[in-house]
Amino acid sequence: MKILVCIKQVPDMESRFKINSEGTWYDEADLAFRMNEYDEYAVEQAVQLKEQLGNEPEITILSIGPDRVVEAIKKALAMGGDRGVHILDNKYYQKDPWQVAATIASYAKEQQFDLIFTGMQSQDRGSAQVGVTIAEQLGMACATTLVGFAYDNGTITVKRELEGGIKGVARMKLPAVVTCQLGLNTPRYPTLPNIMKSKKKELQTLPVADLLKEAELTATDKMYPPAKKGGGIVLEGDVGELVDKLLGILKGKTTVLR
Amino acid sequence: MEATREIYWNVGHGVILPMYLFTAIAFAVCAYGFYKRVEVYRLGKELNRLDNLSGRIILLLKNLFGQFKVLRVRGPGVPHALFFWGFVLLFIGTLLIMAQADFSDPLFHIRFLTGHFYKLYSLILDLAGFIALVMLFGLTLRRFLVRPEGLKITRDDYLMHIIITAIIITGFFAEGVRIAATELRNNPELARFSPIGLFVANQFAGLDDQSLRQMHKLWWWVHFILVMGFIVTIPWSKFRHLFTTPANYLFADQREKGTIATINLEEEGVEHFGVDKIQDLSWKDIFDADACTSCKRCQDRCPAWNTDKPLSPMKVVQQIGEAAFTNPQANLIETVSQDVLWSCTTCRACQEICPADIEHVNKIVDMRRNLVLMQGEFPGEEVMVAVNNIEVNGNPFGLAYAGRGDWTEGLDVQQMSDGATVDILYFVGCYASFDKRNQEVARSFIKICNAAGVRVGILGKEEKCCGEPLRKLGNEYLYQMTAQENIEQIKASDIKKIVTTCPHCLNTLGRDYKDLGLDIDVEHYTVFLDRLINNGSLSIEAHQFDYTYHDSCYLGRYKDIIQQPRNVLHAAGGRINEMDKTGYDSFCCGAGGGRILAEEKIGTKISEARVRMATETGAPLLISNCPFCLTMFEDGIKTGGAEGEIIVKDLAEIVAERITVQN
Repeated sequence: MKILVCIKQVPDMESRFKINSEGTWYDEADLAFRMNEYDEYAVEQAVQLKEQLGNEPEITILSIGPDRVVEAIKKALAMGGDRGVHILDNKYYQKDPWQVAATIASYAKEQQFDLIFTGMQSQDRGSAQVGVTIAEQLGMACATTLVGFAYDNGTITVKRELEGGIKGVARMKLPAVVTCQLGLNTPRYPTLPNIMKSKKKELQTLPVADLLKEAELTATDKMYPPAKKGGGIVLEGDVGELVDKLLGILKGKTTVLR
Repeated sequence: MEATREIYWNVGHGVILPMYLFTAIAFAVCAYGFYKRVEVYRLGKELNRLDNLSGRIILLLKNLFGQFKVLRVRGPGVPHALFFWGFVLLFIGTLLIMAQADFSDPLFHIRFLTGHFYKLYSLILDLAGFIALVMLFGLTLRRFLVRPEGLKITRDDYLMHIIITAIIITGFFAEGVRIAATELRNNPELARFSPIGLFVANQFAGLDDQSLRQMHKLWWWVHFILVMGFIVTIPWSKFRHLFTTPANYLFADQREKGTIATINLEEEGVEHFGVDKIQDLSWKDIFDADACTSCKRCQDRCPAWNTDKPLSPMKVVQQIGEAAFTNPQANLIETVSQDVLWSCTTCRACQEICPADIEHVNKIVDMRRNLVLMQGEFPGEEVMVAVNNIEVNGNPFGLAYAGRGDWTEGLDVQQMSDGATVDILYFVGCYASFDKRNQEVARSFIKICNAAGVRVGILGKEEKCCGEPLRKLGNEYLYQMTAQENIEQIKASDIKKIVTTCPHCLNTLGRDYKDLGLDIDVEHYTVFLDRLINNGSLSIEAHQFDYTYHDSCYLGRYKDIIQQPRNVLHAAGGRINEMDKTGYDSFCCGAGGGRILAEEKIGTKISEARVRMATETGAPLLISNCPFCLTMFEDGIKTGGAEGEIIVKDLAEIVAERITVQN
């Protein structure tokens, strides 16, 4: 079985963001980078599947971006990926989700992957479109926001997180694309022998121009921080209600509760 | 009449051959027993503990004959020391007999056990034997009647108490009966120099000569057989500590306290890290179990054990010994258990008090290395999150690394990256940089330096976690990664002296970083301030206050820095109310060993236990010298219900409040 996991290296969300000189993305100075959180679930699930199938599947880790993304690819390799593909693009942020998906689809088409894992969305752009678009461009089945995954003999049964906490169950035959959500699994901490091995695994670098033949469908006009509003929210109600409301705000509007 | 006695009186020179024969056999059996044990020690890896041999021998002799470590706990320590010295004297006495009876007399006709020397000899040995007997009796009462908590009674203990008591008593009986048959009649003056023997003799004075002689032969042989029995059981019982404990003094770790082996991560072909089976340990780790006499002093002082966590340092050491001797294939981590291993705060109370120089802490760290590096295990998910935060942002809070120097706003502090000229590099540490409560300490320290005219520089956003919690949790890989980044920045800054307000950073930068290529003067700010006050650079006004002081583990036990902070607080006008557990006996706050990153899920809170000890002194103020301690005590005061009873402050805050001269 051939598995592809698409990951993105994003800035840590605690960083202080400033808009770049072009006005269309954030400035990379003074930022700490890490693997997109949702992609960690994707890598972990791929590795768990590989272990379930007696280590027969081969996992390819793919990422698009400048040289620094190699660090994220290496971490995914240390978690259990077999080979890495770095699509070198120093202006990755100027591509829209359609182009990102097209780049990946262009690579994946030749490789004939059985299963593609991605994160549900990236923590910086947050479009949540790349995974589904890849499936569309390759004509593969797709399920998103996975919080459950089970493989049995060419068919996968997935649990999806829907609005209001409802879970939806879907079944698909391979080849398929799935996007992963928080709660799917707990990403493993790479062991040192695996970290050492990952340094020797194959890492292929491809220039993005070789793969990207699509024009953008959406253009980024301008990026700016939200206008500062004065005041705050006053919550009213009895203690039980207040607690629920407060928890909702903390969960939805901050990263204090994970 | 001449002051002497006839060696081999009554038993006759005929005993010499069988005596030496049996003794030789007994020694051979004893040697064989140890030889078999050496085979098991050798299951562990090689380790050189014989370097600087002359220094080691001196330490061995000092600690063995001085019994210093045994005496640290007076209750049982004094009786043991006296008992030991008594026995040493008796042993020397026997050697002198042998020297005269088997060498100097037959070969050179020289007899020195005569006259005044003999009188002194007799007196000293009688007293030695008596004191040994009384001390042993006291220790027997303690073990079997008083039954201190945690002091287990095993088969070995019955053996040891019974056989040694019997040896001493039969020795006095033989002597007494001899004196009854000889000196009592012929030389009563001389008998006074064997007071105990005389006392025994008087009990048998009424018997006729023949009965006395028969009894004497009996006690002599019983005494001899008991001694042979004793020698033979040495390797197979707790008696082995007669050799293994002094040997452990010889093999003691001579490196700086707290030194941990730095793994060479570049080494080709190394696929196994940490310890999960006997063969991963060094021979010394296995030998430590044989040096242990289950005195439980380590367990008594373990902050984890004392708050109902399953960790007993003594038990860990003994489990390793058990595995080595009975089941060398055992998985040590499963045997000891993760709950036990993660409970350790590396406070070092166990090693500091151990009278056998056993090394508990590194065994635990080595097993943690296996858990983290080979299995990706952590004491809790929250720890994995914190560890990942350190990897991404250089601090366990996960706050943006770019903001690390923000606490300096409005203060006179230079950034090293600006190329400023400074007197010291202040290594701030994660807590003082990011934690609100601890930022007060950093600000106080700067205020003090400014007043003393000391120019301070910081690395700011180039500073990363020193890596200590990572290292103690077993994550040697990430520790080395983050350490190397710091070392690069420190070297680039061209600084000659580092001062820190965190004892963990102090230990790591000053000692651990040496293995990674940084050899630089690192000082804790309390020592730094002590010097500034002494040489007049810093002027503070003494405003009187009452306080109790907490010696943090990494400052007190690890670095022996106990007096200097007290000097500073005295200069500040403080009146100290010492806790019972102070100085080297200080009780951990609970945050060491990387546990500052973990939730305390088992037993009761260590921080609350220590806060209670502080409130018991009646002092309204608890002073600490470590960001972990400050954090734990603020917590412990709240959760332990001591709010309003006591407050906690760092020493820096106290000093900063009392600055008189502003530069």
